[in-house]
Amino acid sequence: MTVITHVQRRSRLAEMVDRPGGVSVGVALAQAQANLGGLRDQACAIIADNIAVLLAEPAPGTIEALRLDLAYSASNQIIDAASPFAMDDLCTAAKGLCDLLDAAPRQGGFDWRIATVHAQAMKLLLSLPTDAAAPRAAIVENLAEVLKRKLPVQSQTAHQAVQPAA
Amino acid sequence: MPTQSDTLRESAVFNLSGAVVMVVDDSPFSLTLTTGVLSGFGVRPAYTVSSGVQAQSLLAEKPIDLLLIDTDMPDIDGFELVRWLRRSGPNPNAFTPVIMTASHIRRGRVAEARDCGANFVVTKPFSAAMLLERILWVARDTRPFLEVGDYLGPDRRFVRPELYEGEERRADRLRNNMVEFA
Repeated sequence: MTVITHVQRRSRLAEMVDRPGGVSVGVALAQAQANLGGLRDQACAIIADNIAVLLAEPAPGTIEALRLDLAYSASNQIIDAASPFAMDDLCTAAKGLCDLLDAAPRQGGFDWRIATVHAQAMKLLLSLPTDAAAPRAAIVENLAEVLKRKLPVQSQTAHQAVQPAA
Repeated sequence: MPTQSDTLRESAVFNLSGAVVMVVDDSPFSLTLTTGVLSGFGVRPAYTVSSGVQAQSLLAEKPIDLLLIDTDMPDIDGFELVRWLRRSGPNPNAFTPVIMTASHIRRGRVAEARDCGANFVVTKPFSAAMLLERILWVARDTRPFLEVGDYLGPDRRFVRPELYEGEERRADRLRNNMVEFA
């Protein structure tokens, strides 16, 4: 196969990153955390809204594919909102549900009780104090068991970080 | 290439204050979060855009130094946008560093994520520290751009040839073993 190599000149970003001035990593991260701090309540509200979407009964006659997409979108938004606030267990739960919904047959047959279990678990995770490590870990462990039983092995790894490689 | 611990040494100093950054995400809250984190890094995003179409028209006109693109968008999704960008030469933005962010990548789209031409795809959850590490990493990314079949983007191999002591290429080995027919 033909390979064409474009030798590129240094990007402007590369040129400016080491210029005099700027900010130290420590200060930058502290500033970023401070900026995020004020958004935590809003993030929790978005997570709660999307959990409510997952727990809501579908409108009569909703097509299965649409229901799957709506639930997938709600789970995605939970990950978006929880991600910057180190709510990793909530993200894990939402990712597990995304995996399950992604693997579900579009024409029907998905066991929606699994989505309800995930949503209730996320609701609990959201309400538990952050230092309640043991109950939080137990919830995540139980969800991992559900995932293991309900999902083919190859699908469980689909959400992991993708790094352009070879 | 600096390792993660080098780039994120607390006292290490970087300067991105002049960078023209575009953030593309259909979720207004995600845009707010990313902008907040970038402001902490001393970067004021010049463009925060909520759709792929809007991003395309800006990318065709304005020079951009760094792009942060969400994968999942309703009109033109992130993968499609980056594929278009890489093929948009002579537009100088065709070579702009791109970091893609994803909440979850559908099983059927993993190959697309690998092949779209982004410098890096990061899946959530990621912290502000991880985002900064990736930004500094792509800023110092020296990989050449390759055009191979349908792929156009940074060399996807992360090998470090100086650490490899074997034969140079498998192709050379095959060539050495070839029998020539007169």
